[in-house]
Amino acid sequence: MFPTIETVHVFALVLVVGTIMTVDLRLLGLANKERPFSQVASEMLPWTWVAFSIAALAGMLMFSSKALTYYGNIPFRLKMVCLLLAGVNMAMFHWLGTRHLAAWDRGRPPLAAKFAGGASLLLWTTIVAAGRWIGFTT
Amino acid sequence: MIERFCDWLSRTGISIAFQSANWFVPLVQTVHIIAIAILLTSVYVMSFRLIGITRAGQPLAVLAAKSTPWVWATLCVLLSTGILLTITEPARELLNWAFRVKMLLVLALAGILLLVQIRMRKSPEYWTESPSRRRAARAIGIAAVIIGASIVTAGRWIAYV
Repeated sequence: MFPTIETVHVFALVLVVGTIMTVDLRLLGLANKERPFSQVASEMLPWTWVAFSIAALAGMLMFSSKALTYYGNIPFRLKMVCLLLAGVNMAMFHWLGTRHLAAWDRGRPPLAAKFAGGASLLLWTTIVAAGRWIGFTT
Repeated sequence: MIERFCDWLSRTGISIAFQSANWFVPLVQTVHIIAIAILLTSVYVMSFRLIGITRAGQPLAVLAAKSTPWVWATLCVLLSTGILLTITEPARELLNWAFRVKMLLVLALAGILLLVQIRMRKSPEYWTESPSRRRAARAIGIAAVIIGASIVTAGRWIAYV
């Protein structure tokens, strides 16, 4: 049972990370430079949410199998903190970072938007690393 | 034969060095997973277009041309990190049925990606030219989606079989 749920979790999370990184790389000007940011984001982010819902659900099931062990696990706590920070970063970008979107949608994003993209890239890499470390420390 | 090779490899200096560093396997696996994220997302974006689930955005030929370098670069990263993991724990990988199935699926996916790209290099409209080509494109897209998910599944099951 656990390996099956874990497989669903991994499958969903690679799609979460892949779609988010596509958006992050556009913000940083490293991919899809010739396309409007809003187009890249609206193509990718609906899939991100679908995959994230599946990954979160599977993650909760995995957590419930050994809740106390995971709760006390340092990489698990690090992962949860980074997920929270990634959420805050995304919300701040959504509310503040896109206020003048029309001005840079087809061009280079302002520094604050680039920062949000870089932070997201870093946080999601840490989330994957911490997630993998849970399996080696429980 | 393979058993003896695994035995020999696991006693080499490089394998012992990797084994003795606790952080090595999780670190390499993290890089492996991030590369899978980029590869699978690229493959799925293109497959969904081939199938016809997504229509808007850039033409298929432009999409394929842009994703090509990412696809082959991440495949190289996956191969390198996979070799490092195999050197560290040869028997865990080479004697494992899930690993063997995974390698066959990776070859199949690489073949499909190559086919899609080569056909479009000759004519960008290749996969949309006629109803029969569109049907073939849909079948190829569905196959790529299923094989991609199967690779992830087989990969995770290496740890359990």
